[in-house]
Amino acid sequence: MADTGIKTDIGSSMFNPGGWKSLISFVTLSLAWLVGFSSRLFAVIRFESIIHEFDPWFNYRSTHYMVNHGFYNFLNWFDERAWYPLGRIVGGTVYPGLMVTSGSIHWFLHLLHIPVHIRDICVFLAPIFSGMTAVSVYLFTKEIWSAGAGLFAACFIAIVPGYISRSVAGSYDNEGIAIFALMFTYFLWIKSVKTGSLYWSVFTALAYFYMVSAWGGYVFIINLIPLHVFVLILMGRYSQRIYIAYNSFFIIGLILSMQIPFVGFNPISTSEHMASAGVFALLNAYALLKYVQSFLTKAEFKFVFVAAVGIAAAVIFMAVVGLTWAGYIHPWSGRFYSLWDTGYAKIHIPIIASVSEHQPTTWVSFFFDLHILVCAFPAGVWYCIKYVNDERVFVVLYAIFASYFAGVMVRLMLTLTPIVCVSAAIAFSKAFEIYLRDDTPKTSNKPIEDTPDNKSDNKYYDKVGKTKKDKREEKPKESDALGINIKSIIVIALLMVLMLFAVHCTWVTSSAYSSPSIVLASYNHDGSRTILDDFREAYYWLRQNTEDKARVMSWWDYGYQIAGMGNKTTLVDNNTWNNSHIALVGKAMSSNESAAYEIMRALDVDYVLVIFGGVIGYSGDDINKFLWMVRIAEGEHPKDIRESDYFTPQGEFRVDSSGSKTLLNCLMYKLSYYRFGDLQLDFRSPSGYDRTRGVEIGNKNFELTHLEEAYTSEHWLVRIYRVKDLENRQITDKPVKPVKKAKKSKKKTSKKKQGSIKNKPKVVKGKKSKSKK
Amino acid sequence: MESKMWKLLLVGTFLAVICFCHAVQKKKDDPLAERVQQMMDWNSKKPVIRMNGEKFKQYVRGVPRNYSVIVMLTALQPQRQCSVCKQANDEFTIVANSWRYSQTNKLFFAMVDFDEGSDVFQQLKLNTAPVFMHFPPKGKPKKADTMDIHRVGFVAEQIARWVQERTDIQIRVFRPPNYSGTLALALLFSLVGGLLYMKRNNLEFLYNKTFWGIAALSVIFAMTSGQMWNHIRGPPVMHKNPSTGAIHYIHGSSQGQFVAETYMVFLLNAAIVGGFILMSEANNLKGDPGKKRVFALVGLGCVAVFFSLLLSIFRSKYQGYPYSFLFK
Repeated sequence: MADTGIKTDIGSSMFNPGGWKSLISFVTLSLAWLVGFSSRLFAVIRFESIIHEFDPWFNYRSTHYMVNHGFYNFLNWFDERAWYPLGRIVGGTVYPGLMVTSGSIHWFLHLLHIPVHIRDICVFLAPIFSGMTAVSVYLFTKEIWSAGAGLFAACFIAIVPGYISRSVAGSYDNEGIAIFALMFTYFLWIKSVKTGSLYWSVFTALAYFYMVSAWGGYVFIINLIPLHVFVLILMGRYSQRIYIAYNSFFIIGLILSMQIPFVGFNPISTSEHMASAGVFALLNAYALLKYVQSFLTKAEFKFVFVAAVGIAAAVIFMAVVGLTWAGYIHPWSGRFYSLWDTGYAKIHIPIIASVSEHQPTTWVSFFFDLHILVCAFPAGVWYCIKYVNDERVFVVLYAIFASYFAGVMVRLMLTLTPIVCVSAAIAFSKAFEIYLRDDTPKTSNKPIEDTPDNKSDNKYYDKVGKTKKDKREEKPKESDALGINIKSIIVIALLMVLMLFAVHCTWVTSSAYSSPSIVLASYNHDGSRTILDDFREAYYWLRQNTEDKARVMSWWDYGYQIAGMGNKTTLVDNNTWNNSHIALVGKAMSSNESAAYEIMRALDVDYVLVIFGGVIGYSGDDINKFLWMVRIAEGEHPKDIRESDYFTPQGEFRVDSSGSKTLLNCLMYKLSYYRFGDLQLDFRSPSGYDRTRGVEIGNKNFELTHLEEAYTSEHWLVRIYRVKDLENRQITDKPVKPVKKAKKSKKKTSKKKQGSIKNKPKVVKGKKSKSKK
Repeated sequence: MESKMWKLLLVGTFLAVICFCHAVQKKKDDPLAERVQQMMDWNSKKPVIRMNGEKFKQYVRGVPRNYSVIVMLTALQPQRQCSVCKQANDEFTIVANSWRYSQTNKLFFAMVDFDEGSDVFQQLKLNTAPVFMHFPPKGKPKKADTMDIHRVGFVAEQIARWVQERTDIQIRVFRPPNYSGTLALALLFSLVGGLLYMKRNNLEFLYNKTFWGIAALSVIFAMTSGQMWNHIRGPPVMHKNPSTGAIHYIHGSSQGQFVAETYMVFLLNAAIVGGFILMSEANNLKGDPGKKRVFALVGLGCVAVFFSLLLSIFRSKYQGYPYSFLFK
């Protein structure tokens, strides 16, 4: 399209396949970007431009802080409003990539005098980055297979639910930008393996640095790339290119990754990173052997080889064991450990087991998130094995390991999704390449500029199949055999499947992944919609009506929201770094009121916030989460809290009158159901009918002694209680009756008896009385 | 004076009673020591003391005790066909073994088999097995002294935890390391190594891409059909409705799955991939054009039919899913 200046050239450039190619690629990519962006806007259109869920609120709050106070103040930020009374060093415990990204967009827009609020940047960051992900997946697939497959892959990743689930507008989380960083790093890595140039490997390391700054999942890169190199060596595909690519990537990447405060010295001290160092050593040893081999005889070399390998293996093994034993290398951290030993987390770490993201994956959720792609992508892997080369080995390894991890942990579906799109794109592109080709004999031969290009893969370009020229001239005649009818049938059927995929993606995005979860919507019979805005209502009440330093106790799920929207001090939040503190809150929630009051006094709690869904039938409320509180509390305080006390004798968890007494009298129960017994929701159900559990509650008429109701939102979803101060005067329930006490004591010792005899002999058990009978 | 006399008399009687009690205590002390000694002896021979009705009465229900007894009431005889009992017995033995060498006489592990002491079962009004019961040194067992195996299961760690709850004695469960896995792995490795060595002149198959392709795809199919979920959660193979007798192969909700169902999904996925590969291989076939057409159409048929099947299974599990292809 560049040569539009000369009129006569227009005609020829219109038929120039290179021009068509880039136009179509450009248009397709921008359409993919547009579709990806707009299909992520369901939540914004239905509700409003708002930050979703839990973690995004923390990210938003810290981005806001960084924009207001500057980057260095952000790195040194000690947040005394979280984890009261411990506080949290935010700068050293976050991956700052997300905040820096949106902060620099904000800075740039303000430089152009476009006044955009930082919240809007945060809301739309993930959809914008999804387009960039599509572009980087296109580049990756283009390097692996062909440009046509690349366009397919870009379209797939733009709309696939497995990625949308983490990147809808308002879901302002690390994963939103991390998948872009991940795929871009892989693209640059493939590029550097192919070219063996320092230029590309330095860029790989820089992209890796961005990934490290953005998401903890960078560990996946630093294990997969060494694995790729290792397998290449095993396959005998070692070359200078790989040597240069890996060594420069490893060294620069290692130094850069240690610049992130949260990562610090982890890359040289934890087991997760050791594989990369091991491969680095191995690669250099291998290169040395290759070099030595060039001037030794075969027999000599054999001896040197065996000796070197034996010594190296022994030294490395001893070093790793010794360093781990001496405590310089940390054993695998719990979350990673649960990836390998799948039974570990279930037994030992209730807080990991309680997070639904750490559960294994059913086939239904694979199908739900990937639809036809999950069925088609093994075919792409198959082709990568059949037509193997250096970079396709990478695809195969990525596919195998990512599907293993996705099977173990539903959250890691996210890392599987890009490679599924790439491989499925290969499968579809290959099918279309064959069946979309028009093999009617050509009338004229157009000049093709890239004929001498020896990478014939690059020319397979299905979208413009008719301009495609084959080197073998007899091919059209041979492929005639398939016939135009059969070809059309197959193409139409595949297109229908793809259409079904697009429809599925839209439906899933709209119905499952576009709820902000802080604004709820319910639909009436006539289709009209009611917005339940209780969360924001209550948090705003907290913000306006409580003193600045007020401390709010709630279960950890709501910590970030209270800090973000209510701007109040919380005890625990979603950064679950201190299990014992969480267990203490759990203990307070599951004890009876007076025992809880002692804990709350000790923790300086001013307000208690509970989420209660019984009025509107909201299932994600605190009573339904309650067993996890009990379990986590039991883990730290086994003497005081026992899970079995909260079950009925039949082992059921019930809140009605047959529920266990401990449950019906614990703090969480009382705070959830306080005055609920007086409420009759409709005429068919009795008063105090819990719609979530579908039962009439068991303990209706009770008063609170140490707390008082401060605020209950419109639909009772959020209930806030004020913790009363200590009484000035100890009020006792029953007046002391000294007379009765005296009577009681009379039986034991007759000393205090009124009008007793002086000098009466005192009887000591087991001794003979001095007085005579 | 009268009252004083009475009082003295009272005191005297009291003293006498105390003395008598003391004497009785001493007399009874001997059987207690003897009992403890007997229990210790048995314990040193076997970690779990096997009891019949008579022994149970004497050593577990016998009144002056200063030790707790954890009793497993079970039915291990093969004709009872209690497969759970066997697993429970293994776990119980692990706990007992972990406790065995602590050399204290506060806690003993015992078991009663139904066929040796059915009177015990009658006495305790039990009609199920296995049951874990704790007999405290003083008083009768309460409700919580029966372990709730329906809720917490009977893994050794859970038993130890329950024992700690009831008796305040902490047992560190020491599982004898399971060598079978390691052994199988070593065997496999040596087999593969041996095979490689035997065929060292003919290592062609290592360069066989089809072999590697099938291996890689099997791993992927296993993962995407949820075998890892099966491994972690251990669902049943299928579900038989107790009232109607109908067998369900497919779990009704999207949150769960049966083993049979995952195998079906495995095969369906494999068939779809096979279809895709057939479609593209059809073009590479040499020779008869008719054969090519058949291959291409069979490939398409595989993709379309099996994908629709998969979609309809998904539809039956995911309530409210609106789309389908070919089949409902």
